[in-house]
Amino acid sequence: MIKFCVCIKQVPDVSAPVHTGRMVLNAYDASAVEEALVLTERYGGEIDLVLIGPASAAETIRKALAMGADRATHLVIGDDERPDSMAVAKMLADYLANKDYDVIATGKQAQDTDAGLTGSMLAERLGLPYASNAVGLAYEAETRQLVVTRQGDAGQEIIALPMPCLVTCSNDMNDPRIPTLKGIMGAKRKPIDTREVAVPAEGLPVTKVLAFEPVPEREPGQRLEGEPEEVARLLCKKLAEEARVL
Amino acid sequence: MAKILTCISIQDGKVRRSSLEVLTRCRQLAAAGGHTLEAAIVDADAAAHLDTVKAYGPQTIYTVSHPVFRRHLNTPVLAALTAVIEHARPDVVAFASTEAVKDVLGALAVRVGAAALPDVSSFELVDGGVEALRPVMAAKMLARTEARAPRVLVSVRSGSYTAEEAPAGAAVEAIPFTFDEASLRQTLREVVTAAGGAVDLSEARVVVAAGRGVKDEAGKQLVERLAGVLGAAIGASRAVVESGLFPATAQIGQTGKVVSPDLYVAVGISGAIQHVAGMQNSRVIVAINKDPDAPIFKYATYGIVGDLYKILPVLAEELERVKA
Repeated sequence: MIKFCVCIKQVPDVSAPVHTGRMVLNAYDASAVEEALVLTERYGGEIDLVLIGPASAAETIRKALAMGADRATHLVIGDDERPDSMAVAKMLADYLANKDYDVIATGKQAQDTDAGLTGSMLAERLGLPYASNAVGLAYEAETRQLVVTRQGDAGQEIIALPMPCLVTCSNDMNDPRIPTLKGIMGAKRKPIDTREVAVPAEGLPVTKVLAFEPVPEREPGQRLEGEPEEVARLLCKKLAEEARVL
Repeated sequence: MAKILTCISIQDGKVRRSSLEVLTRCRQLAAAGGHTLEAAIVDADAAAHLDTVKAYGPQTIYTVSHPVFRRHLNTPVLAALTAVIEHARPDVVAFASTEAVKDVLGALAVRVGAAALPDVSSFELVDGGVEALRPVMAAKMLARTEARAPRVLVSVRSGSYTAEEAPAGAAVEAIPFTFDEASLRQTLREVVTAAGGAVDLSEARVVVAAGRGVKDEAGKQLVERLAGVLGAAIGASRAVVESGLFPATAQIGQTGKVVSPDLYVAVGISGAIQHVAGMQNSRVIVAINKDPDAPIFKYATYGIVGDLYKILPVLAEELERVKA
């Protein structure tokens, strides 16, 4: 039996052109949901979801429920609110304090901000041992430990965490399942506890996005054409004399 | 006047180049604004790295040494960094954005009551805090982000600045650190390193990266030969990591490593946005791909449309000749 809580986020689809405004379940969170499903299917247990976002994010909750999670809590904030990682971690910690989960899972980062702070901020607030950037999860029933394979700088680190614990998930660990029609229909009947929350206004150090700017464009490159020998010679010459990288 | 502290990352017994890039940037900011520049080394044998760090000009170097740092575990690292910050009381703490730093940055920010700006591509000190550019949305855009707080943690992508020496006689201060291993709740069981990875990817000056176009062991060997001639680290796109041809440690992209070498050779890589997010800061990009419309050509300094199985052998030969 493993009681999971997976923290999920609705984000813009980074694969689509920005202006389409298409919103999706954060890919890293989808991997966290998938991993929780695999482990609870094998060892028994249940999966709760929690999402902080505007009312319109409910569609993303339904998607994660349709994958197979059992129930969800939607902490509703205003449409124009943009809480930073510190504020999100505080709101999640306030919600999760005194709740009895074995594993709290999050994506390792949100694919819109790519910040990757919320998971370890939440673990610190809840006083839980944690591992980040998981690329594999296993459960050891006899010791009640979560065994996390995380991608470190020099290799994969295999770290055992006693429960309760927190893990942040990479999207390299699985391919999240696509909800079936039955799952989608079933999700409509699953409970979502919706409650309004206030973004903490004081007492936290704040970061703020002032503006979005385009990434400076690279100078147009050159195409080198011809037979392989000719192209190889030309490239070496350019790398040595023009780009000076040889 | 502010105090800037750069935390130095050590890997495999060596100071990471990316830390020295950050230390150089902090030195420039300190010189321009009349601020104090300090550095911290947290390692099993921190004193071994003093000479390297001194060459980049900090006024004081704090060391925290303990055998527990031989194993990568976030609990002791957090405790050590907290001890340094509480002792030195810096206004700004800068890190290289490594996996080990990503592991602790959020928790550290909560513990020391700081604002955090992670994975920035540039940063400035402004009145009452830090302003930074952060690649967001898989590096499709830059977010100009500010943190106005009494203490700000900032982690910087490798390759954002150039490391330049400016030796100074730094004072050295060892911070007393005790750690009760019995209090450790997590256990490191094993570190699985990729076999034969001669050059560290995120530190490498030259990277040869393989994509879906590299279909088999023969293709992999061609990539390895080219990397060998160039003295390059080997990277990979998600597709060839998933196919099992290359290890997960080689993956470059939004999910994997961010690299910024002088020369990046993309072999059979189409250029999906998630991959580009991890390599677009490379100075010179060479792309070899059969598909003339592959998006990677938009980023390539030199683009070659062709079959990598034909081009790589002659390219390796030609490079051997040029380098001989």
